[in-house]
Amino acid sequence: MTIAVEKLAQYDEYVEALDLLDEESRFEYIIDIGKRADKIPFPVECMDHAHLMHGCMSKVWIIHDMNGGAHHFRGQSDAIIVKGLVSMMTGSFSGLTSDELAEVTLDHVRSLNLGALTMQRQVGMMAMLKHMQKLSQRSAQAATANED
Amino acid sequence: MNEMAQNTNLSGHNAEGGFDIDRIRQDFPVLSRQVHGKPLVYFDSGASAQKPRAVINAMTEVLEDQYTNVHRGAHYLSQALTDRYEGVREKIAAFINAPSENEIVITRNTTEAINLVAATYGRKFLSKDDAVVISDMEHHANIVPWQLLRDETGIELKIAPIDDRGMLDMDAYAALLDRNTKLVSMTHCSNVLGTMLPANEIVRLAHDRSIPVLLDGSQAVVHSTVDVQDLDADFYVFTGHKLYGPTAIGVLYGKADLLAQMPPYQGGGDMIATVTYEKTTYQEPPYRFEAGTPPIVEAIGLGAAIDYVSAIGMDAIAAHEKALLAYATERLAAMPDIRLFGSAPEKAAILSFVQDGIHPFDTAATLDRAGVAVRVGQHCAEPLMTRLGVEGTVRASLAMYNTIGEIDSMITALERARSLFA
Repeated sequence: MTIAVEKLAQYDEYVEALDLLDEESRFEYIIDIGKRADKIPFPVECMDHAHLMHGCMSKVWIIHDMNGGAHHFRGQSDAIIVKGLVSMMTGSFSGLTSDELAEVTLDHVRSLNLGALTMQRQVGMMAMLKHMQKLSQRSAQAATANED
Repeated sequence: MNEMAQNTNLSGHNAEGGFDIDRIRQDFPVLSRQVHGKPLVYFDSGASAQKPRAVINAMTEVLEDQYTNVHRGAHYLSQALTDRYEGVREKIAAFINAPSENEIVITRNTTEAINLVAATYGRKFLSKDDAVVISDMEHHANIVPWQLLRDETGIELKIAPIDDRGMLDMDAYAALLDRNTKLVSMTHCSNVLGTMLPANEIVRLAHDRSIPVLLDGSQAVVHSTVDVQDLDADFYVFTGHKLYGPTAIGVLYGKADLLAQMPPYQGGGDMIATVTYEKTTYQEPPYRFEAGTPPIVEAIGLGAAIDYVSAIGMDAIAAHEKALLAYATERLAAMPDIRLFGSAPEKAAILSFVQDGIHPFDTAATLDRAGVAVRVGQHCAEPLMTRLGVEGTVRASLAMYNTIGEIDSMITALERARSLFA
Protein backbone atom coordinates (compact mmCIF):
# COMPACT_ATOMS: atom_id res chain seq x y z
CA MET A 1 0.00 0.00 0.00
CA THR A 2 1.03 3.58 -0.41
CA ILE A 3 0.32 6.60 1.71
CA ALA A 4 -2.51 8.75 0.31
CA VAL A 5 -1.08 11.86 -1.37
CA GLU A 6 -3.24 14.30 0.58
CA LYS A 7 -1.97 12.90 3.85
CA LEU A 8 1.55 14.01 3.02
CA ALA A 9 0.63 17.52 1.94
CA GLN A 10 2.65 19.18 4.68
CA TYR A 11 5.64 16.95 4.00
CA ASP A 12 5.47 17.70 0.27
CA GLU A 13 5.34 21.40 1.04
CA TYR A 14 8.55 21.11 3.04
CA VAL A 15 10.26 19.08 0.31
CA GLU A 16 9.28 21.61 -2.35
CA ALA A 17 10.26 24.62 -0.27
CA LEU A 18 13.63 23.15 0.66
CA ASP A 19 14.30 22.08 -2.92
CA LEU A 20 14.19 25.72 -4.04
CA LEU A 21 16.72 26.83 -1.44
CA ASP A 22 20.49 26.63 -1.40
CA GLU A 23 22.21 24.93 1.51
CA GLU A 24 22.68 28.09 3.53
CA SER A 25 19.06 29.15 3.10
CA ARG A 26 17.90 25.69 4.15
CA PHE A 27 19.78 26.17 7.40
CA GLU A 28 17.98 29.46 8.01
CA TYR A 29 14.66 27.93 6.92
CA ILE A 30 14.91 25.31 9.69
CA ILE A 31 15.79 27.99 12.21
CA ASP A 32 12.68 29.93 11.15
CA ILE A 33 10.51 26.85 11.62
CA GLY A 34 12.16 26.27 14.99
CA LYS A 35 11.49 29.85 16.07
CA ARG A 36 7.87 29.64 14.93
CA ALA A 37 7.43 26.35 16.82
CA ASP A 38 8.97 28.04 19.85
CA LYS A 39 6.03 30.45 19.98
CA ILE A 40 3.47 27.63 20.25
CA PRO A 41 3.18 26.60 23.89
CA PHE A 42 4.17 23.03 24.64
CA PRO A 43 2.77 21.49 27.83
CA VAL A 44 5.51 21.81 30.42
CA GLU A 45 4.29 18.68 32.21
CA CYS A 46 5.12 16.70 29.07
CA MET A 47 8.76 17.80 29.13
CA ASP A 48 9.47 14.86 31.40
CA HIS A 49 11.36 11.61 31.27
CA ALA A 50 8.40 9.70 29.88
CA HIS A 51 8.28 11.86 26.75
CA LEU A 52 12.01 12.28 26.35
CA MET A 53 13.76 10.93 23.32
CA HIS A 54 17.31 10.38 24.47
CA GLY A 55 19.97 12.21 22.53
CA CYS A 56 23.44 13.37 23.37
CA MET A 57 23.43 16.90 22.02
CA SER A 58 19.98 18.25 22.79
CA LYS A 59 16.78 17.09 24.39
CA VAL A 60 13.73 16.13 22.39
CA TRP A 61 10.28 15.46 23.85
CA ILE A 62 7.52 13.99 21.73
CA ILE A 63 3.85 13.73 22.68
CA HIS A 64 1.73 11.21 20.87
CA ASP A 65 -1.95 10.54 20.77
CA MET A 66 -4.28 8.55 18.62
CA ASN A 67 -7.55 9.68 17.15
CA GLY A 68 -9.76 7.58 14.89
CA GLY A 69 -6.88 5.31 14.00
CA ALA A 70 -4.62 8.21 13.09
CA HIS A 71 -1.48 9.09 15.05
CA HIS A 72 -0.79 12.68 16.02
CA PHE A 73 2.50 13.98 17.29
CA ARG A 74 3.85 17.17 18.78
CA GLY A 75 7.47 17.79 19.57
CA GLN A 76 9.67 20.05 21.61
CA SER A 77 13.41 20.57 21.99
CA ASP A 78 15.71 22.83 23.95
CA ALA A 79 17.67 23.68 20.79
CA ILE A 80 16.03 25.83 18.11
CA ILE A 81 17.40 23.89 15.14
CA VAL A 82 16.30 20.60 16.63
CA LYS A 83 12.94 22.18 17.43
CA GLY A 84 12.67 23.03 13.73
CA LEU A 85 13.55 19.48 12.75
CA VAL A 86 11.07 17.97 15.22
CA SER A 87 8.39 20.34 14.06
CA MET A 88 8.95 19.30 10.45
CA MET A 89 8.79 15.63 11.37
CA THR A 90 5.69 15.83 13.55
CA GLY A 91 3.99 18.16 11.06
CA SER A 92 4.84 15.92 8.13
CA PHE A 93 3.80 12.60 9.55
CA SER A 94 0.90 13.33 11.88
CA GLY A 95 -2.46 11.99 10.75
CA LEU A 96 -1.08 8.72 9.41
CA THR A 97 -2.29 5.29 10.46
CA SER A 98 0.10 2.76 11.98
CA ASP A 99 0.50 1.00 8.64
CA GLU A 100 1.12 4.27 6.84
CA LEU A 101 3.66 5.38 9.41
CA ALA A 102 5.49 2.10 9.02
CA GLU A 103 5.88 2.95 5.34
CA VAL A 104 7.71 6.18 5.99
CA THR A 105 11.34 5.42 5.29
CA LEU A 106 14.81 6.81 5.28
CA ASP A 107 14.13 7.98 1.71
CA HIS A 108 11.35 10.30 2.90
CA VAL A 109 13.78 11.87 5.34
CA ARG A 110 16.54 11.99 2.73
CA SER A 111 14.26 13.82 0.30
CA LEU A 112 14.14 16.74 2.70
CA ASN A 113 17.78 17.14 1.74
CA LEU A 114 18.95 18.52 5.05
CA GLY A 115 22.38 16.92 4.97
CA ALA A 116 24.09 16.28 8.29
CA LEU A 117 21.18 17.69 10.26
CA THR A 118 18.93 14.99 8.84
CA MET A 119 21.16 12.06 9.42
CA GLN A 120 22.69 12.48 12.82
CA ARG A 121 21.84 9.28 14.55
CA GLN A 122 21.26 10.54 18.02
CA VAL A 123 19.21 13.66 17.50
CA GLY A 124 18.63 13.54 13.76
CA MET A 125 15.41 13.12 11.90
CA MET A 126 15.92 9.40 11.34
CA ALA A 127 16.04 8.90 15.09
CA MET A 128 12.88 11.00 15.42
CA LEU A 129 11.12 8.94 12.76
CA LYS A 130 12.05 5.71 14.48
CA HIS A 131 10.88 7.11 17.79
CA MET A 132 7.53 8.15 16.29
CA GLN A 133 7.10 4.74 14.70
CA LYS A 134 7.88 3.08 18.00
CA LEU A 135 5.33 5.24 19.83
CA SER A 136 2.68 4.43 17.24
CA GLN A 137 3.39 0.70 17.41
CA ARG A 138 3.30 0.75 21.18
CA SER A 139 -0.08 2.49 21.29
CA ALA A 140 -1.47 0.25 18.55
CA GLN A 141 -0.39 -2.78 20.57
CA ALA A 142 -1.93 -1.31 23.71
CA ALA A 143 -5.19 -0.72 21.81
CA THR A 144 -5.18 -4.34 20.62
CA ALA A 145 -4.47 -5.59 24.12
CA ASN A 146 -7.43 -3.61 25.45
CA GLU A 147 -9.68 -5.18 22.84
CA ASP A 148 -8.52 -8.62 24.02
CA MET B 1 43.78 40.16 13.57
CA ASN B 2 44.34 42.28 16.62
CA GLU B 3 47.55 43.61 18.14
CA MET B 4 48.01 40.60 20.35
CA ALA B 5 47.93 38.28 17.37
CA GLN B 6 50.60 40.30 15.60
CA ASN B 7 52.82 40.22 18.65
CA THR B 8 52.64 36.48 18.96
CA ASN B 9 53.74 36.10 15.33
CA LEU B 10 51.53 33.09 14.85
CA SER B 11 50.17 33.42 11.40
CA GLY B 12 53.42 33.08 9.59
CA HIS B 13 56.97 32.02 9.92
CA ASN B 14 58.51 32.08 13.35
CA ALA B 15 62.20 32.10 12.60
CA GLU B 16 63.33 32.23 16.21
CA GLY B 17 61.39 29.25 17.51
CA GLY B 18 61.64 27.26 14.31
CA PHE B 19 57.90 26.67 14.46
CA ASP B 20 56.68 27.06 10.90
CA ILE B 21 52.89 27.00 11.02
CA ASP B 22 52.50 27.18 7.24
CA ARG B 23 54.68 24.16 6.72
CA ILE B 24 52.96 22.27 9.49
CA ARG B 25 49.57 22.96 7.94
CA GLN B 26 50.80 21.66 4.62
CA ASP B 27 51.72 18.41 6.34
CA PHE B 28 48.05 17.78 7.14
CA PRO B 29 46.22 17.10 3.86
CA VAL B 30 42.71 17.46 5.29
CA LEU B 31 43.36 21.06 6.32
CA SER B 32 43.24 22.19 2.71
CA ARG B 33 39.67 21.01 2.20
CA GLN B 34 36.51 23.02 2.42
CA VAL B 35 33.33 22.39 4.40
CA HIS B 36 30.07 24.03 3.28
CA GLY B 37 32.15 26.07 0.84
CA LYS B 38 34.38 27.46 3.62
CA PRO B 39 37.93 26.48 4.57
CA LEU B 40 37.85 23.78 7.24
CA VAL B 41 38.68 25.12 10.70
CA TYR B 42 39.32 22.00 12.72
CA PHE B 43 38.78 22.74 16.40
CA ASP B 44 37.85 19.19 17.40
CA SER B 45 41.31 17.76 17.92
CA GLY B 46 40.48 16.96 21.54
CA ALA B 47 38.06 14.36 20.19
CA SER B 48 40.49 13.14 17.55
CA ALA B 49 43.35 14.97 15.87
CA GLN B 50 44.02 15.12 12.14
CA LYS B 51 46.86 13.07 10.69
CA PRO B 52 50.04 14.39 9.08
CA ARG B 53 51.23 12.97 5.78
CA ALA B 54 54.08 11.24 7.65
CA VAL B 55 51.57 9.05 9.53
CA ILE B 56 49.50 8.32 6.44
CA ASN B 57 52.61 7.44 4.42
CA ALA B 58 54.07 5.21 7.12
CA MET B 59 50.85 3.20 7.35
CA THR B 60 50.47 3.00 3.58
CA GLU B 61 54.07 1.89 3.22
CA VAL B 62 53.54 -1.00 5.64
CA LEU B 63 50.33 -2.08 3.96
CA GLU B 64 51.80 -1.87 0.45
CA ASP B 65 55.27 -3.22 0.99
CA GLN B 66 55.97 -4.69 4.42
CA TYR B 67 52.78 -6.18 5.78
CA THR B 68 52.64 -9.50 7.62
CA ASN B 69 52.02 -10.66 11.16
CA VAL B 70 54.57 -9.91 13.88
CA HIS B 71 56.25 -12.01 16.59
CA ARG B 72 55.69 -15.36 14.91
CA GLY B 73 56.83 -15.69 11.34
CA ALA B 74 60.13 -17.39 10.50
CA HIS B 75 60.51 -15.32 7.40
CA TYR B 76 62.05 -12.07 6.26
CA LEU B 77 58.92 -9.91 6.26
CA SER B 78 57.87 -10.98 9.73
CA GLN B 79 61.28 -10.41 11.25
CA ALA B 80 61.59 -7.00 9.59
CA LEU B 81 58.13 -5.86 10.64
CA THR B 82 58.57 -7.25 14.15
CA ASP B 83 61.71 -5.13 14.47
CA ARG B 84 59.83 -2.09 13.24
CA TYR B 85 56.86 -2.78 15.49
CA GLU B 86 59.03 -3.29 18.57
CA GLY B 87 60.93 -0.16 17.58
CA VAL B 88 57.71 1.75 18.13
CA ARG B 89 57.61 0.50 21.71
CA GLU B 90 61.05 2.04 22.17
CA LYS B 91 59.86 5.30 20.60
CA ILE B 92 56.87 5.43 22.94
CA ALA B 93 59.12 4.77 25.93
CA ALA B 94 61.49 7.55 24.86
CA PHE B 95 58.57 9.92 24.18
CA ILE B 96 57.34 9.76 27.78
CA ASN B 97 60.80 9.01 29.19
CA ALA B 98 59.88 5.57 30.49
CA PRO B 99 62.90 3.71 31.84
CA SER B 100 62.28 0.68 29.64
CA GLU B 101 60.24 -0.31 26.59
CA ASN B 102 59.17 -3.36 28.61
CA GLU B 103 57.01 -1.01 30.65
CA ILE B 104 55.02 -0.04 27.55
CA VAL B 105 51.86 -2.07 26.94
CA ILE B 106 50.13 -1.55 23.60
CA THR B 107 46.35 -1.26 23.98
CA ARG B 108 43.49 -0.20 21.74
CA ASN B 109 43.10 3.19 23.40
CA THR B 110 43.06 4.95 26.78
CA THR B 111 39.76 3.35 27.65
CA GLU B 112 41.20 -0.13 27.24
CA ALA B 113 44.34 0.83 29.16
CA ILE B 114 42.29 1.94 32.19
CA ASN B 115 40.01 -1.09 31.94
CA LEU B 116 43.13 -3.24 31.85
CA VAL B 117 44.45 -1.75 35.08
CA ALA B 118 41.03 -1.98 36.74
CA ALA B 119 40.56 -5.59 35.66
CA THR B 120 44.04 -6.81 36.57
CA TYR B 121 45.64 -4.60 39.21
CA GLY B 122 42.21 -3.68 40.56
CA ARG B 123 40.92 -7.23 40.87
CA LYS B 124 44.14 -8.48 42.39
CA PHE B 125 44.94 -5.73 44.85
CA LEU B 126 41.64 -4.00 45.66
CA SER B 127 38.84 -5.48 47.69
CA LYS B 128 35.78 -4.47 49.66
CA ASP B 129 36.31 -1.33 51.76
CA ASP B 130 39.26 -0.22 49.65
CA ALA B 131 38.81 3.04 47.78
CA VAL B 132 39.88 4.52 44.45
CA VAL B 133 40.14 8.31 44.21
CA ILE B 134 39.26 10.07 40.97
CA SER B 135 38.57 13.76 40.33
CA ASP B 136 35.32 15.53 39.52
CA MET B 137 36.55 16.23 35.98
CA GLU B 138 37.17 12.77 34.62
CA HIS B 139 36.29 11.42 31.22
CA HIS B 140 33.84 8.50 31.46
CA ALA B 141 36.81 6.27 30.56
CA ASN B 142 38.21 6.99 34.02
CA ILE B 143 34.90 6.61 35.84
CA VAL B 144 33.07 3.61 34.45
CA PRO B 145 35.91 1.01 34.70
CA TRP B 146 36.09 1.78 38.44
CA GLN B 147 32.32 1.55 38.76
CA LEU B 148 32.44 -1.89 37.14
CA LEU B 149 35.11 -2.86 39.65
CA ARG B 150 33.03 -1.36 42.45
CA ASP B 151 30.01 -3.43 41.42
CA GLU B 152 32.15 -6.54 41.34
CA THR B 153 34.27 -6.13 44.47
CA GLY B 154 32.54 -3.55 46.65
CA ILE B 155 35.30 -0.95 46.49
CA GLU B 156 34.42 2.67 47.12
CA LEU B 157 34.84 5.41 44.54
CA LYS B 158 35.85 8.76 46.05
CA ILE B 159 35.56 11.97 44.08
CA ALA B 160 38.09 14.75 44.63
CA PRO B 161 36.22 18.04 44.11
CA ILE B 162 37.20 20.95 41.88
CA ASP B 163 36.76 24.66 42.38
CA ASP B 164 34.95 27.10 40.10
CA ARG B 165 38.08 27.74 38.06
CA GLY B 166 38.23 24.05 37.23
CA MET B 167 41.17 23.32 39.50
CA LEU B 168 41.49 20.35 41.76
CA ASP B 169 40.86 21.18 45.41
CA MET B 170 44.20 19.92 46.71
CA ASP B 171 43.23 20.03 50.40
CA ALA B 172 40.11 17.99 49.74
CA TYR B 173 42.15 15.62 47.58
CA ALA B 174 44.74 15.13 50.31
CA ALA B 175 41.96 14.45 52.82
CA LEU B 176 40.70 11.61 50.64
CA LEU B 177 44.05 9.85 50.86
CA ASP B 178 43.16 7.91 53.97
CA ARG B 179 44.06 4.36 54.94
CA ASN B 180 41.27 2.89 52.78
CA THR B 181 42.48 4.56 49.60
CA LYS B 182 44.52 2.09 47.58
CA LEU B 183 44.72 3.82 44.20
CA VAL B 184 44.46 7.30 42.71
CA SER B 185 43.31 7.43 39.08
CA MET B 186 43.20 10.93 37.74
CA THR B 187 43.32 12.89 34.54
CA HIS B 188 46.52 14.81 33.82
CA CYS B 189 44.59 17.32 31.71
CA SER B 190 40.82 17.84 31.63
CA ASN B 191 39.31 17.08 28.22
CA VAL B 192 36.57 19.64 28.90
CA LEU B 193 38.22 22.47 30.82
CA GLY B 194 41.80 22.13 29.62
CA THR B 195 43.03 22.26 33.23
CA MET B 196 46.53 20.84 33.58
CA LEU B 197 46.46 19.14 36.95
CA PRO B 198 49.45 19.48 39.30
CA ALA B 199 50.39 15.87 38.60
CA ASN B 200 53.71 15.94 40.46
CA GLU B 201 51.99 17.11 43.62
CA ILE B 202 49.10 14.67 43.16
CA VAL B 203 51.58 11.80 42.90
CA ARG B 204 53.75 13.04 45.77
CA LEU B 205 50.83 13.30 48.18
CA ALA B 206 49.64 9.82 47.25
CA HIS B 207 53.11 8.31 47.46
CA ASP B 208 53.57 9.83 50.92
CA ARG B 209 50.86 7.36 51.91
CA SER B 210 52.18 4.57 49.65
CA ILE B 211 49.22 4.89 47.28
CA PRO B 212 49.98 4.26 43.60
CA VAL B 213 48.75 6.72 40.97
CA LEU B 214 47.40 6.25 37.47
CA LEU B 215 47.40 9.35 35.30
CA ASP B 216 45.16 9.67 32.23
CA GLY B 217 47.38 11.53 29.79
CA SER B 218 45.07 11.43 26.75
CA GLN B 219 45.07 15.22 26.45
CA ALA B 220 48.28 15.98 28.33
CA VAL B 221 50.65 14.14 25.95
CA VAL B 222 49.27 16.19 23.07
CA HIS B 223 49.79 19.57 24.65
CA SER B 224 52.87 19.21 26.85
CA THR B 225 56.09 17.33 27.45
CA VAL B 226 55.40 14.30 29.62
CA ASP B 227 58.10 12.62 31.67
CA VAL B 228 56.77 9.64 33.61
CA GLN B 229 59.93 9.39 35.69
CA ASP B 230 59.75 13.01 36.71
CA LEU B 231 56.05 12.56 37.51
CA ASP B 232 56.87 9.28 39.24
CA ALA B 233 53.51 8.00 37.95
CA ASP B 234 52.88 4.33 38.56
CA PHE B 235 50.64 4.04 35.50
CA TYR B 236 50.35 6.51 32.65
CA VAL B 237 47.84 6.00 29.84
CA PHE B 238 47.14 7.74 26.56
CA THR B 239 45.70 7.16 23.13
CA GLY B 240 47.26 7.43 19.68
CA HIS B 241 44.51 9.15 17.74
CA LYS B 242 44.57 12.37 19.74
CA LEU B 243 48.35 12.53 19.30
CA TYR B 244 48.05 12.86 15.49
CA GLY B 245 48.32 9.07 15.17
CA PRO B 246 45.78 6.49 14.06
CA THR B 247 42.77 5.17 15.93
CA ALA B 248 42.72 1.78 17.68
CA ILE B 249 46.08 2.14 19.38
CA GLY B 250 46.74 3.27 22.91
CA VAL B 251 49.43 3.02 25.52
CA LEU B 252 49.65 1.81 29.07
CA TYR B 253 52.89 2.65 30.82
CA GLY B 254 53.29 0.78 34.08
CA LYS B 255 56.22 0.54 36.45
CA ALA B 256 57.94 -2.79 35.90
CA ASP B 257 57.40 -4.09 39.42
CA LEU B 258 53.66 -3.38 39.22
CA LEU B 259 53.21 -4.93 35.79
CA ALA B 260 55.12 -7.99 36.96
CA GLN B 261 52.60 -8.56 39.76
CA MET B 262 49.53 -8.15 37.56
CA PRO B 263 47.67 -11.14 36.10
CA PRO B 264 46.83 -11.25 32.38
CA TYR B 265 43.98 -9.13 31.01
CA GLN B 266 42.76 -11.18 28.07
CA GLY B 267 43.84 -14.68 27.10
CA GLY B 268 44.94 -15.85 23.69
CA GLY B 269 47.89 -15.96 21.38
CA ASP B 270 51.05 -13.90 21.90
CA MET B 271 50.58 -13.52 25.67
CA ILE B 272 51.46 -17.10 26.60
CA ALA B 273 54.74 -18.87 27.31
CA THR B 274 53.44 -22.46 27.14
CA VAL B 275 49.98 -23.91 26.75
CA THR B 276 48.78 -27.37 27.70
CA TYR B 277 45.23 -28.40 28.51
CA GLU B 278 46.27 -28.74 32.13
CA LYS B 279 48.17 -25.51 32.60
CA THR B 280 49.16 -22.38 30.73
CA THR B 281 52.00 -20.09 31.65
CA TYR B 282 52.18 -16.49 30.61
CA GLN B 283 54.75 -14.22 29.05
CA GLU B 284 56.52 -11.51 30.97
CA PRO B 285 55.17 -7.94 30.66
CA PRO B 286 54.41 -6.21 28.40
CA TYR B 287 53.47 -9.21 26.21
CA ARG B 288 51.41 -10.79 28.99
CA PHE B 289 48.86 -8.00 28.47
CA GLU B 290 48.80 -8.12 24.67
CA ALA B 291 46.67 -11.10 23.66
CA GLY B 292 46.14 -11.69 19.97
CA THR B 293 47.57 -10.02 16.91
CA PRO B 294 48.38 -6.46 17.91
CA PRO B 295 47.46 -3.29 15.97
CA ILE B 296 50.55 -3.54 13.79
CA VAL B 297 49.84 -0.90 11.16
CA GLU B 298 48.42 1.44 13.78
CA ALA B 299 51.55 1.04 15.89
CA ILE B 300 53.70 2.02 12.92
CA GLY B 301 51.42 5.02 12.45
CA LEU B 302 51.76 6.01 16.09
CA GLY B 303 55.54 5.69 15.80
CA ALA B 304 55.45 8.08 12.84
CA ALA B 305 53.26 10.50 14.81
CA ILE B 306 55.70 10.47 17.71
CA ASP B 307 58.58 11.09 15.30
CA TYR B 308 56.61 13.93 13.76
CA VAL B 309 55.76 15.78 16.98
CA SER B 310 59.22 15.08 18.41
CA ALA B 311 60.88 16.65 15.36
CA ILE B 312 58.83 19.81 15.85
CA GLY B 313 59.33 19.61 19.61
CA MET B 314 56.63 19.34 22.27
CA ASP B 315 57.87 22.56 23.85
CA ALA B 316 57.49 24.45 20.56
CA ILE B 317 54.02 22.96 20.07
CA ALA B 318 53.07 23.92 23.63
CA ALA B 319 54.31 27.48 23.10
CA HIS B 320 52.30 27.86 19.89
CA GLU B 321 49.18 26.48 21.53
CA LYS B 322 49.65 28.68 24.57
CA ALA B 323 49.61 31.76 22.36
CA LEU B 324 46.50 30.45 20.56
CA LEU B 325 44.80 29.82 23.90
CA ALA B 326 45.62 33.31 25.17
CA TYR B 327 44.25 34.88 21.99
CA ALA B 328 41.09 32.74 21.91
CA THR B 329 40.46 33.37 25.61
CA GLU B 330 40.83 37.12 25.10
CA ARG B 331 38.46 37.16 22.12
CA LEU B 332 35.84 35.01 23.85
CA ALA B 333 36.10 37.03 27.07
CA ALA B 334 35.34 40.16 25.05
CA MET B 335 32.01 38.69 23.93
CA PRO B 336 29.37 39.52 26.56
CA ASP B 337 27.19 36.53 25.72
CA ILE B 338 29.95 33.93 26.10
CA ARG B 339 30.37 32.01 29.33
CA LEU B 340 33.73 30.26 29.36
CA PHE B 341 34.37 27.30 31.67
CA GLY B 342 37.78 26.62 33.10
CA SER B 343 40.23 29.35 33.99
CA ALA B 344 43.07 27.40 35.56
CA PRO B 345 46.42 29.19 35.22
CA GLU B 346 47.94 26.01 33.79
CA LYS B 347 45.68 25.15 30.94
CA ALA B 348 45.84 23.39 27.56
CA ALA B 349 44.27 24.92 24.46
CA ILE B 350 40.79 23.57 25.17
CA LEU B 351 37.93 26.07 25.44
CA SER B 352 34.50 25.04 26.69
CA PHE B 353 31.79 27.64 26.57
CA VAL B 354 28.11 28.38 26.13
CA GLN B 355 26.38 31.35 24.54
CA ASP B 356 23.75 32.96 26.75
CA GLY B 357 20.25 32.05 25.61
CA ILE B 358 21.49 29.80 22.83
CA HIS B 359 21.60 26.04 23.06
CA PRO B 360 25.13 24.68 22.49
CA PHE B 361 23.84 22.58 19.61
CA ASP B 362 22.57 25.72 17.83
CA THR B 363 25.91 27.44 18.41
CA ALA B 364 27.83 24.43 17.10
CA ALA B 365 25.57 24.05 14.07
CA THR B 366 26.18 27.70 13.18
CA LEU B 367 29.93 27.21 13.60
CA ASP B 368 29.69 24.18 11.32
CA ARG B 369 28.05 26.32 8.64
CA ALA B 370 31.17 28.49 8.78
CA GLY B 371 33.39 25.43 8.39
CA VAL B 372 34.35 25.47 12.07
CA ALA B 373 34.31 21.94 13.54
CA VAL B 374 33.73 21.82 17.29
CA ARG B 375 32.30 19.29 19.65
CA VAL B 376 29.06 19.87 21.49
CA GLY B 377 27.44 18.05 24.39
CA GLN B 378 28.78 16.49 27.50
CA HIS B 379 32.17 15.44 26.15
CA CYS B 380 31.99 12.04 27.86
CA ALA B 381 32.12 13.87 31.19
CA GLU B 382 28.51 13.96 32.40
CA PRO B 383 29.35 14.34 36.12
CA LEU B 384 31.49 17.38 35.30
CA MET B 385 28.57 18.93 33.41
CA THR B 386 26.46 18.44 36.55
CA ARG B 387 29.20 20.14 38.59
CA LEU B 388 29.26 23.05 36.12
CA GLY B 389 25.46 23.25 36.18
CA VAL B 390 25.02 22.93 32.43
CA GLU B 391 23.47 20.36 30.11
CA GLY B 392 26.44 20.62 27.81
CA THR B 393 28.96 22.98 26.30
CA VAL B 394 30.56 23.84 23.01
CA ARG B 395 34.18 22.74 23.05
CA ALA B 396 36.84 24.17 20.79
CA SER B 397 39.95 22.04 21.23
CA LEU B 398 42.94 23.46 19.41
CA ALA B 399 46.03 21.78 18.09
CA MET B 400 49.44 22.62 16.70
CA TYR B 401 48.04 23.23 13.20
CA ASN B 402 45.53 25.91 14.22
CA THR B 403 45.98 29.63 13.65
CA ILE B 404 44.91 33.02 14.93
CA GLY B 405 42.95 33.52 11.70
CA GLU B 406 40.93 30.41 12.45
CA ILE B 407 40.05 31.74 15.89
CA ASP B 408 38.85 34.92 14.18
CA SER B 409 36.63 32.75 11.94
CA MET B 410 35.11 31.12 15.00
CA ILE B 411 34.44 34.49 16.64
CA THR B 412 32.72 35.76 13.47
CA ALA B 413 30.56 32.63 13.40
CA LEU B 414 29.68 33.09 17.08
CA GLU B 415 28.54 36.61 16.28
CA ARG B 416 26.34 35.22 13.55
CA ALA B 417 24.88 32.67 15.98
CA ARG B 418 24.00 35.52 18.30
CA SER B 419 22.15 37.35 15.52
CA LEU B 420 20.38 34.17 14.38
CA PHE B 421 19.24 32.86 17.75
CA ALA B 422 19.42 35.42 20.52
